[in-house]
Amino acid sequence: MFETARFEGKRRVRGTAILSVGLSLYAAFIVWYFTVWEGAEVEELFQDMPPAMIEAFGIAELGSIEGFLGGQIYTFLWLLGLGIYFAYAGAGLVANDIEKGRMDLLGVFPISRTQLLSEKFAALLVPMVVLNLVVSAVVYVLVIAIGESIGPTHLFMAHALSLPYFLVCAALGVILSVVATRATIAERAAIGLIFLLWLGESVVSGSGEYSWLAYLSPTYYYEPTPVLIDGSYEPVHSLVLFGIFFGLLVVGLVLFKRRDF
Amino acid sequence: MATIDVEDLTKYYGDVRGIDGLSFTVDAGEVFGFLGPNGAGKTTAIRTLLGLQSPTSGSATVLGADIRDESALLEAKRKIGYLPDHLGFHEELTGTQILDYHASIKGDERRSELLELFTPPVERAVRGYSSGNKRMLGIIQAFMHDPDLVILDEPTSGLDPLKQERFHEFLREERDRGTTIFFSSHILSEVRQICDRVGILRDGRLVELEEIETLLNRSGKRVQVQTTTDGREALAALDGVIDVYEFDNGMQFIYTGDYNTLFRALSEHDIHEADISEPPLEDIFLHYYGEETAPNAEASADV
Repeated sequence: MFETARFEGKRRVRGTAILSVGLSLYAAFIVWYFTVWEGAEVEELFQDMPPAMIEAFGIAELGSIEGFLGGQIYTFLWLLGLGIYFAYAGAGLVANDIEKGRMDLLGVFPISRTQLLSEKFAALLVPMVVLNLVVSAVVYVLVIAIGESIGPTHLFMAHALSLPYFLVCAALGVILSVVATRATIAERAAIGLIFLLWLGESVVSGSGEYSWLAYLSPTYYYEPTPVLIDGSYEPVHSLVLFGIFFGLLVVGLVLFKRRDF
Repeated sequence: MATIDVEDLTKYYGDVRGIDGLSFTVDAGEVFGFLGPNGAGKTTAIRTLLGLQSPTSGSATVLGADIRDESALLEAKRKIGYLPDHLGFHEELTGTQILDYHASIKGDERRSELLELFTPPVERAVRGYSSGNKRMLGIIQAFMHDPDLVILDEPTSGLDPLKQERFHEFLREERDRGTTIFFSSHILSEVRQICDRVGILRDGRLVELEEIETLLNRSGKRVQVQTTTDGREALAALDGVIDVYEFDNGMQFIYTGDYNTLFRALSEHDIHEADISEPPLEDIFLHYYGEETAPNAEASADV
């Protein structure tokens, strides 16, 4: 039990370390930029922008460090960038092994296909958890270092609540991975899908009549900026994400069990 | 119970035929050769037997497990070793890391012994391996958990002649230990050396299933004779003489008739030299495949 999760998890350590460093550097740049940015007439700069744009980039509250981080790191990089990353990683999970001929060896292991895919998926928890821990710690320390303050609980929750969202993104990728004939197709489709869901949600969310369409996108259920600013979030949104995740994973497992390698 | 029992096994990819109505059994402790040119359906048959793809129709059992029943097949897979034709490994990992993973799932009681026979540079990343080294790593993972049944798909492709010979010798020892070996190849001399029985596959169908000795006996003898023009004409006219090639002062043919008739005919003419031998399997293959698809080129390139 868990041999595959251990093996796949170890394989993800290097990439996770590199990504942690990269994201930390970006966070450091943003925090430094806030010190330069402070005092600028933020509202004026953006008043000509369409409301959907302001919504999409979360640039409503750029005056405070929480709002600034929310707009520059969480709404864009975390929600969109890492959402795409995990969907991409999920999309490669099965399709790459099949394409590179590795699935022939994995397929004759005396473990069920359900266990194989579940454990491979579980290994994605390594980057999911580590990136959240490292970047939240880095952000906290840097914010203190520039003489600002940020609620540690708020910061922690903003990160913790991203986990169910990332699980959904990865599970969407897994379904693409299982049905696609080639890995690159699955991976490109995953990137496109998350981008479209994010964009679609941003566009319709302020539009009144069709705003309900936003419920279809997982990005709707993870809103980091309000959590950072005042700790407000909807627990039911996280439950919805977990529900979607389990549903998608079950579909992925069933399809994986039935497909030919 | 047979180690592998295949009953009317059929696999189509849409309209494309992979295998069609295969039926055969492989008994415990035998080396069964699965022979056919590339594209004949050998890999399809093997991958279907291992549950990597589901059959369109028909059934099969492997070590008593129905291949359509995943949980039954899981138990059997503990005792199966498999060397695929196309070997995929994580290129960035070392041979040791890959074998460690395999060991954690299926065991590795014979790993060190195998690493003495086959010597891939396990401390290096697979990225730098030659095709021979990859093949040897594949051989080690196929045998390291001491399986009862080993399924090998074109096992010697990429191995240098010395390693091929070592592998053949290893397979003979494995058979003597009681391991059942199912072996696909398009290299005839290899099958000739190793296998007890052979099934010949063509366009997804089994065209012949024989003991290798029967196949050779039934296929006649190759006769090379240096004699006079009259002699050559007389011999060519005998019943059972086929595939006649004439050259300076001599001829070669395949003789499937009665020996006495042949020797009587030979004694009536002035014979300078005569040689009667087993025909190469390549020639036997020609009977099943015809001239156009003769695997000579492949075989001579690989032997």
